[in-house]
Amino acid sequence: MIEFRNVSFSYDKERQVLKGVSFSIGEGESVGLIGANGAGKSTIMKLLLGLLEPTDGSVLVKGTPVSKSSLAEVRRTLGFVLQDSDDQMFMPKVADDMMFAPLNYGLPRNEAEARVDEVLARLGIQDLKERYNHRISGGEKRMAAIATILVMQPEAILMDEPTSALDPFNRRMIINTVKDLKQTKLIASHDLDMILDTCSRVILLSGGEIAADGPADAILRDRALLEANRMELPLSLALQV
Amino acid sequence: MNRLQKALLEMSELDRLTAMDSPVHRLSPLAKLLVTIVYIVVTVSFGKYDLSRLVVMVLYPVLAFSLSGIPVSTCFYKLRIAIPLVIFVGLFNPLFDKAPLLHIGNVAVSGGVVSMLTLVLKGIFSLMASFILVATTPIDRICAALRKLHVPSMLVTLLLLTFRYAGVMMQEAAVMSDAYRLRAPGQKGVHISAWGSFTGQLLLRSMDRAERLYASMQLRGFRGEFDYAGPVPFTLRDAIFLIVCAAVFILFRTVDIAALIGGLFVR
Amino acid sequence: MHMADALLAPAVAGTMYVASAAVAGHSIYKLKKDDNPAKLPVMAVAAAMVFAGQMINYTIPGTGSSGHLCGGMMLSALLGPQAGFLSMIVVLVIQCLFFADGGLLALGANVWNMAFYGCFVGYYLIWRPIMRSRLFGSGKGAQRCRIILASILGCVITLQLGALSVVIETSLSGITDLPFGAFAALMQPIHLAIGLVEGLITSAVLCFVFEARSELLQEVDVSGAGASKVSLKGVVAILAIVALVVGGGLSLLASSNPDGLEWALFGNTEAGYSQNMGLDEEDFGVSSKAAETAESIQESTSFLPDYAFPDSDSPAGTSVSGIVGSAIVAALAVVICLIGGFFRKKRKERKV
Repeated sequence: MIEFRNVSFSYDKERQVLKGVSFSIGEGESVGLIGANGAGKSTIMKLLLGLLEPTDGSVLVKGTPVSKSSLAEVRRTLGFVLQDSDDQMFMPKVADDMMFAPLNYGLPRNEAEARVDEVLARLGIQDLKERYNHRISGGEKRMAAIATILVMQPEAILMDEPTSALDPFNRRMIINTVKDLKQTKLIASHDLDMILDTCSRVILLSGGEIAADGPADAILRDRALLEANRMELPLSLALQV
Repeated sequence: MNRLQKALLEMSELDRLTAMDSPVHRLSPLAKLLVTIVYIVVTVSFGKYDLSRLVVMVLYPVLAFSLSGIPVSTCFYKLRIAIPLVIFVGLFNPLFDKAPLLHIGNVAVSGGVVSMLTLVLKGIFSLMASFILVATTPIDRICAALRKLHVPSMLVTLLLLTFRYAGVMMQEAAVMSDAYRLRAPGQKGVHISAWGSFTGQLLLRSMDRAERLYASMQLRGFRGEFDYAGPVPFTLRDAIFLIVCAAVFILFRTVDIAALIGGLFVR
Repeated sequence: MHMADALLAPAVAGTMYVASAAVAGHSIYKLKKDDNPAKLPVMAVAAAMVFAGQMINYTIPGTGSSGHLCGGMMLSALLGPQAGFLSMIVVLVIQCLFFADGGLLALGANVWNMAFYGCFVGYYLIWRPIMRSRLFGSGKGAQRCRIILASILGCVITLQLGALSVVIETSLSGITDLPFGAFAALMQPIHLAIGLVEGLITSAVLCFVFEARSELLQEVDVSGAGASKVSLKGVVAILAIVALVVGGGLSLLASSNPDGLEWALFGNTEAGYSQNMGLDEEDFGVSSKAAETAESIQESTSFLPDYAFPDSDSPAGTSVSGIVGSAIVAALAVVICLIGGFFRKKRKERKV
């Protein structure tokens, strides 16, 4: 589904953000992307979405390299949920925002509306439909942002810090929602408990390189590995020991 | 509470008002917009001494407030911004125009006083009318009406986006100024040494946000234009409202209703 | 400088609408031709930022008062004149709709007075020539000096033009008896001060942006290579315009010599007007409706006795009936208000 082949990226000569990163993610996998601030998590997301171009190596989505000509197709395949929902929700109402992508992709209005209703029902947030984006709470906004991506019916979903700055209840709601998603998932986060709950595999980045790549259970239990890379054990596992 | 937070409160108060339900809320935004424009044009077109004829115009906003269930008081808070310049200009009229225009008992009233009052009333009335429009019509409905009036889609889209982010940026600026004040006790505003960096930081943050916003639009298939125009229903009721209002305003403008009513009682 | 509807006659307001719409049309056409989809979100967020930035108080050293940002100059330096103009329009629309700052009918005039001068005159006649010139030499320091000069000159000149337009538009509308010269003499000097402060704020912000991310600014030479042709002539021409405008304002001031009362009046209302949003500690929407209604009625009636001129001996008033009629209409208005309030209370009670 997603493949990085020896990808390097730098903004300028001095700052090498990614150094020869290679990994691949299969259909239906859910992968957590963890690492300290500045380890290169967001860069990987941006490269995947074609918002940045690799200085070296190639990024493939469903076997096609991400390039100018394949951009439209890649972006239809991947849905990206941004960290700050305010960046994502720019229309007046939640429903308008959800209609934005389907209409851009040429879906007739009534079909788009049907999709919107279907997604809202699936997430159990029908009450948000006619609400104004500037009047809904942080947790509601996060759910709505996920909804705006789901209406595109992407084959894979990328998420940047989906649980940041949420209260425990809303965090749990997001985690349950993410767990229920059938698509391929790539989730960048510092919330290791959430990663443990939602992902079966973890890629640990450090200084622009992959420090570890393997089953979530193994990596997230490896205290020495995590601490060497400026992370710590997920709270739920730390308490068990 | 700082000024930004107050402004945010003011905006959310308007949100609360637009979320209410009443016959006025249910009218088509297009009809309301047109009636408001006709009302303001007619109101400001009265002659400078037409005080008594102008007074009749108060009936539209007062009726609209009453029917919509919006307390008139909410709109008077807004006057503090609009009225000072009007009063300033008006205050000079009594000083320059001292010729008596009419007598009440044995008190003569000068033309300047009448023209000043007329001016201030025009200001208050037109403000009341625009307030009724925004207090009963959410911004996206107003924008849809603007599209119906063929205002270019780029401008309407820009208005919607700006409105959406005005709240977000105000929130950011409010947090920044709180943070500033906590470390600068006793300062009323931003000190000159921070003039550039304070707003500059806000500006850089806004540019970063614009970048993320553009990315999020691109990722959802944005190709340079999106036309936001929700449906604008325009029923028979709206047409009647528009025609009746326009007719009544023009009647008020051409016939001196106040004098007619007064004539029934005097002499 | 936001004008209310009452200050304009429909013909003047309409003319200004047409003028502003023409400039907006040109701007949209130009932006569509440039076809840069990334511009729209930047314009929106920049406009939102200016809108928020206008509510920040800047303490003016040595005085108790504070200055504010208007934003036309800043937006055009960041976005270019066309995009800056459209962004200023939406800022003004939001101010007009949601904060009653400037009227709906007066919008055309307000756009012209603030956005057109700030963006187009400010950009083409001030910002671009100065930034392209080699004034103060070359190098980073010189560029910073040019930014400061352009910001201050730009704000002062465009505000002078705006204030003058307010005077012209109001006078043409025939709603004031204040002679044109005296009105201008009041408006121009005040806006000279406001413009200076705004210029200083704008220059501080733009210098900060120049240090942090110079590529955001229009016409700023990022590469450090030589700028285009020296246009010292342009700069001189601009300085001449400044001298003319300032000199004109000052001579008007000198010739009319308004007395102290008028100055005090102006100073007071002006202070209130520049503080505009929410510095006063009024309760917001909390005070009782009845009190407000009473106040509004009082407002519209109480002037009469105070301003009467008992010594005049002209023939009896022609429209006593008009006054009586007005009083009846006013009473009717109050009754409508009260009925509305009564039903609202009922409805509320029923809900409870």
